[in-house]
Amino acid sequence: MTLLQSLKNFVRSKSIHVAYVDVGSCNGCDVEVLACLAPRYDIEQYGIFVHNNPREADVLLVIGAYTPGWEGKLEGLWEKIPDPKVAVAIGNCPISGCLFNRPHTLVDPPVSKHIPIAAQVPGCPPRPTEILSAILSVAPLVYRDYEVRK
Amino acid sequence: MAISLLYYAQEFLRGEWVKKFLAAKTAPLQIPTYFRNYPELTGKTCTHQLYCMMACPAPGAIDVVMTPDGWMPRIHVGHCIRCGLCVEACPNGVLTSGRILESMFYDNTKLSFSFRIDVDTDKCMGCGNCAVACPVNKLIDAQMSHGGRASTDELLLKVSEGKCQVLHVEKCTGCKTCEHHCPNEAIRVARLLEAVHAPEEEL
Repeated sequence: MTLLQSLKNFVRSKSIHVAYVDVGSCNGCDVEVLACLAPRYDIEQYGIFVHNNPREADVLLVIGAYTPGWEGKLEGLWEKIPDPKVAVAIGNCPISGCLFNRPHTLVDPPVSKHIPIAAQVPGCPPRPTEILSAILSVAPLVYRDYEVRK
Repeated sequence: MAISLLYYAQEFLRGEWVKKFLAAKTAPLQIPTYFRNYPELTGKTCTHQLYCMMACPAPGAIDVVMTPDGWMPRIHVGHCIRCGLCVEACPNGVLTSGRILESMFYDNTKLSFSFRIDVDTDKCMGCGNCAVACPVNKLIDAQMSHGGRASTDELLLKVSEGKCQVLHVEKCTGCKTCEHHCPNEAIRVARLLEAVHAPEEEL
């Protein structure tokens, strides 16, 4: 590995840009993601920045059980994110649909049917600590030696 | 002025301070021990009463499976919402999560179950599938004929005058077998969960 590559790896692990998208949740997980932004968890010390703009995001947090209104739109949003990119499913809903996945409902979980999901954070809702540790553990793995692997 | 600058320089150029200033991190937050996390096994024997599955509000979050050590409840992460109702519902204390068992002990509370069966008479066509499939009926009258007709009135469900009749709802165990066997979605079993305080004094 060249020096430049190791420098890139280091810098990328200290600069994680996050966008989140709610594809039809009950807002419980949104509140927990919001709690991550609060000073108690202090995400800037890990180098996590929330822009909520897919064009400059590295990590996409997907929240919710995928309602029909997101058909095609979530895929388009995923295409907008430049490589290397990674999607993390937050909460039970993108994994299994949780309480909403019952007969005669319109939701279409899991979200991994629609976009590739790299990590899942189960919980209804997950603790902000769990969300943070998931982002911190998955992001450096995805970005390590990105150009060399390609 | 010069003394003041010197004082600040002396204060802020200490290696210890500079290191702390550049690399300060808050301690990683730990999940507290009292957090109501995914239920865990206490090691007590499960007797396959399935109260945990009845109390669970999330589809597919818990099931009770046969293992070499006997029946064991199994939690499915990704479905479980960590509400702790299975912990409260279990009569044997097989599961534990956070402080639920302790607070139940100190507050002297428990969950009581009752069931209500609703038959939609507009949809019911009196086929008797529910009465024949019902395991409670099977224990009372093993000779029950097809069509759900029987001579005794001690049954839980019975077909008379072309409609399903609920005779003794207190005998229902909430298994929902009738609901699964109804071709017309005419029968519905509602499980009513009640938190009871000081159950010994009431009885």
